[in-house]
Amino acid sequence: MMYAAWLKEDQGLILGGYGLVFASLAAFAWFVARRGRNLAKQIPDEDKPWT
Amino acid sequence: VSNNVKITSTSTRGSRLLGVATLAGVVATLAFGLLISPPDINQGESVRFFYLHVPAAAGTYLAFLVTAVSSILFLWKRTRSATWDRLAGASAEIGIVFTALMLVTGMMWGRLTWGVYWRWDARLSSTALLLVMFLSYLAVRRLEGTAEQRARRSAVVGIIAFLDVPIVHKSVDWWQTLHQGATLKLKDSQINGLMLFSFFVGLITAVLAYLWLMMHRNRIGMMDQALDEHGLELALQERRAEAVRA
Repeated sequence: MMYAAWLKEDQGLILGGYGLVFASLAAFAWFVARRGRNLAKQIPDEDKPWT
Repeated sequence: VSNNVKITSTSTRGSRLLGVATLAGVVATLAFGLLISPPDINQGESVRFFYLHVPAAAGTYLAFLVTAVSSILFLWKRTRSATWDRLAGASAEIGIVFTALMLVTGMMWGRLTWGVYWRWDARLSSTALLLVMFLSYLAVRRLEGTAEQRARRSAVVGIIAFLDVPIVHKSVDWWQTLHQGATLKLKDSQINGLMLFSFFVGLITAVLAYLWLMMHRNRIGMMDQALDEHGLELALQERRAEAVRA
């Protein structure tokens, strides 16, 4: 059963909260991945034990 | 530093699989948190913050526990290794993100249930203090000194900062607070059925996100350490070359 009545009340804060959490996590993940790519270009492969 | 560069990211097959699992968890959290789970009999629709706020708190506890344990293992002579220092720093950085999300979602939930975003009660104040302490921890990691000195100083600060975690957790029992008591208990839990399931979906997603971030952040730490070492080697080579020229 779907409960969508909440869309009429408090929707701004609830949707904003979900949007903020997942957008923040996505932004942090992107930042981490980009930092990893930038560093990986400067470091020889023998210093990347995960490869 | 080297021409021998074929690997240009921190990704592996395992990390990509973990990333896909995390994304699936995010979709499931959105579906269960926003659409499928029912409103609460007392809190109404605002209970939907429960599926964000408590998993963020769990992520915070997990991240700072890893920082504290890694710091202890670094300070203990038998297990001292740069690996523990690296893990401690990586986990603290992720823990700060989770703490900020816990605070913001808590404030929004508070606005709907209490009518205000913030009150200086024990739970909120101790959580704000936790954030400040771990921001200070990251600042200490960037202070001047040798790698050994920085690691030792930050390990001590990390352990002291972690002492606030049990205070945050027990604050609702130790003091009279506006914040509600524990919803999840081994006996007489305040939540069950679809709401409990939705919570576990959020919790598993938070743990998966932590693991994905930790995997990549730790690899960044490995490369930072390698870059430091190579940087030192290059500086020494340049000095030797200068000396020969002179």
